[in-house]
Amino acid sequence: MPNQTTESKPGELNNSKEQGPPIYLKLEDNIKQICDRLGNSPDLIVRAYESPFQDIRVKTLYINGLIDKELVEDYITHALSFDSLRQGIEPAAEEAFAYAKEKAQNIGKEKIVEDQNSLLEGLLSGDTMILFDGLGKGISVSTSGGEGRSVTEATTQVNIRGPKDSFTESLGTNLSLVRKRIKNPNLWIETLTIGAVTKTDVSIVHIHGLAKEETLQQIRKKLADIHVDSILESGYIEQLIEENNYSPFPTLYNTERPDSVAGNLLEGRIAIFVDGTPFVLILPATFFMFFHTVEDYYQRYDISSIIRVLRFICLLVSLFGPAIFVAALNFHQEMIPTPLLINFASQREGVPFPVVIEVLLLEVTFEIIREAGIRMPSQIGQTVSIIGGLVLGQAAVQAGIVSPAMVIVVSLTGISSFATPAFNMALSIRILRFIITFVAAYIGLYGIAIIGLMLVAHLCSLRSMGVPYMSPVAPFASGDQKDIFLRTPLHFMKTRRRLISKNSKVPGTTAQLSRDNRHES
Amino acid sequence: MKAKLALLLAAVLGCSLVLSGCWNSRELNELAIVSGIGLDSLDGKQGYRVTFQIINPSSSAQTTGSASNQPPIIVVSATDRTIFGALRKASRRATRQLFFAHTQLVLIGESLAEKGITSVFDIFERSHELRLNSAVLVSKGTDAASVLKLLTTLESMPSMGLLKKMQNTSRVWGENRKVTVFEVINGITGESDFTVNGVEIVGDAAEGEKKSSLEQSDPMVGSLMSGLGVFKEGKLIGWLNGPQSRGTQWVLDKINETSINIDSPDMEEDIAVNIFYSKTRVKVELQEGKPVFHVHISEEGIINETGGFVDLSKEDELQELQKEMAEKTAAEVRQAVKAAQDMKTDIFNFGNELKRIHPQSWETVKEDWSAAFAEGELDLKVDAYIRSTGMRLKPYIPAKK
Repeated sequence: MPNQTTESKPGELNNSKEQGPPIYLKLEDNIKQICDRLGNSPDLIVRAYESPFQDIRVKTLYINGLIDKELVEDYITHALSFDSLRQGIEPAAEEAFAYAKEKAQNIGKEKIVEDQNSLLEGLLSGDTMILFDGLGKGISVSTSGGEGRSVTEATTQVNIRGPKDSFTESLGTNLSLVRKRIKNPNLWIETLTIGAVTKTDVSIVHIHGLAKEETLQQIRKKLADIHVDSILESGYIEQLIEENNYSPFPTLYNTERPDSVAGNLLEGRIAIFVDGTPFVLILPATFFMFFHTVEDYYQRYDISSIIRVLRFICLLVSLFGPAIFVAALNFHQEMIPTPLLINFASQREGVPFPVVIEVLLLEVTFEIIREAGIRMPSQIGQTVSIIGGLVLGQAAVQAGIVSPAMVIVVSLTGISSFATPAFNMALSIRILRFIITFVAAYIGLYGIAIIGLMLVAHLCSLRSMGVPYMSPVAPFASGDQKDIFLRTPLHFMKTRRRLISKNSKVPGTTAQLSRDNRHES
Repeated sequence: MKAKLALLLAAVLGCSLVLSGCWNSRELNELAIVSGIGLDSLDGKQGYRVTFQIINPSSSAQTTGSASNQPPIIVVSATDRTIFGALRKASRRATRQLFFAHTQLVLIGESLAEKGITSVFDIFERSHELRLNSAVLVSKGTDAASVLKLLTTLESMPSMGLLKKMQNTSRVWGENRKVTVFEVINGITGESDFTVNGVEIVGDAAEGEKKSSLEQSDPMVGSLMSGLGVFKEGKLIGWLNGPQSRGTQWVLDKINETSINIDSPDMEEDIAVNIFYSKTRVKVELQEGKPVFHVHISEEGIINETGGFVDLSKEDELQELQKEMAEKTAAEVRQAVKAAQDMKTDIFNFGNELKRIHPQSWETVKEDWSAAFAEGELDLKVDAYIRSTGMRLKPYIPAKK
């Protein structure tokens, strides 16, 4: 289970530096030991290498499917042929070991392992191990590879214009996708392992000189403090490091788009990549980030600005739509224009339920359709939405269970909630909508005002990695308004947000950065 | 300690959430939406007969919901000493609670209007449901109830129809204007008197209550906006009709658009001028103890029709017509002022104007303003302009040799 910590000491969870029992001298003992610890797993491949010298006995070990086969073949045939050693007298085992180690540099990330724990860990993360008989140490070569999904088009954050690639489940691929976009030495990556059982690689990525050092420190500390068995998705990290566990609002942004990550890194934010998931966390996240998309910057500013305003209108509609409808119909009938009120009244003539029940009935139905539609295979998903949306909606009206105006209100709010680009934010809004509707049914617009105030107060109290969630609106920073509700032309964007970035000047960033580095080094 | 305090705070906030607010949630299908209220006096008794025109949603809405053959309105009456009493008494006849926030119209029966309406409107200011911007009408020659019972064509809701009739005619003809409850209260409390639109029934009122009356292209019965009722000290004392009522609106600067017929060189009143702009400035002062009303009207119009030959391409012809137009306007205004002076009723707000501009002078005449008003002198100036002659200049009609 994700959040259960293991009984073992914190130290051994995050890094493999702690010493296990040393490797046995005898090769056979080692192999047996490894087989035992892996439960005689069939995917452990042990290959004996026919060495030209009698005294030197070598075996290579790797786990099938985790390694790049070509690389391993290449390495074994070249490194272990001991070509240059053949001329002389029979070399000592140490000499052969040094030779193999040197050859391993061709592949890279070679290191000497001397204890059983790191031996196993290396194997499980795709390294190939070379063990020499009688030496009590081995060489680990990074040969990780194997099958993975190729880079495909983004499925959760689709856009019309802009790059079509998206992250995959492989950490290396994901990092490379960002590297390709930011060709700058200041793109720094730190990797650590989290999860006592899963030993998942997690990378912190930032642009040195832009990201705030305090934020980085905070993230490092928070990640180091995670003690769980498993990290299967970046959502685990998100829930473990977010500051407000009991808030309905997400305080970390996630994306599967490399261009979005690159853009955020350039704003001075920090990204957390987790191996095994295409979703990358970005922090610190502010409320307004969830209503921006990368495409806003690709389209011209006027269009993007209008679309942004539309999104905020959708936010209000999806939060307050049914609530205002219920309040107006139950408490404030004088607010509705007379002909409209009469229309509503005639529609409600045959409906046996109070307005609230009607709203909840439809909203719950809508949520059921949505949930069923998501989990179904896409072909069936369409059927679900047709049956649900068209048949149920139409039939419910004709059966006199709900009024037609209600169907309009509920479907409008439903669609509005899909206009929020960030799915996690849309989910929170949907949950809040129910609460607000309840309150509106209870005390009308007065209740909507109260809960609105409470929401605003709550939003203002939230922080994401120390940055106020509602910034730069609360606290207000006049210089940072140019990319919040509107998207001003690109040539206006000459400063970064001060609360997020360390270096707020935009032009000449690279020059600035390299100078900064020189000072520091 | 801190936790206790937080708990207390939460309890107080929770209570305020639950105990305050308007706990009057009402479902729409439990309400009877009142679209018009009629007030009539009782014969020989104190009190009112209050008539409510209630909208029947299922047959007045434009939806395909639950259409029925019932008429779009239901009229319910109740009598009581007070209006509120009557409102509540009406519950004995209505299945749902009356809901007044959408009252379009307040109709006052002629007999009640003659008795006096000073005390009628208190409930409109006091109640949170009744609106101050409902229109007020006086039924001419009949009681309010019969007007409310009339069904109308085109507009499914009769009150809405009457309101639209009033708005429409005040926009393009100008003899009437929308007078709201608020304005009537202002008129009652102010120094001047006021006018209220009249409405009369044309045809057999009893026939108009039946739905069958709507089933012919020329309805036998209908209501008609008709003149202005003149109220002095809250009592209806007479009616202004036709040119008099339009003259009144002119002085009050309430003309939006209207049409007057002026004389062509050949014939009388055969040129129609559509006045689309009119602005009136009024100044009142006392000269040797007698009030003088300076009324300055500027109006602009378009020639929309000519019955004979006028050479509109000639500047001096147009000048002539403009002069004519100014004279016609002035004649209407003079008629209106004269009629008001005959009734010794200052319906033009001159009293308030004098009080506002020359408070000292006002002090000297306020005791007997009605008489002073009747003695008052009108200094009228009309500037008329013809801005356009429509889509042609000379008419196709040949000039007379």
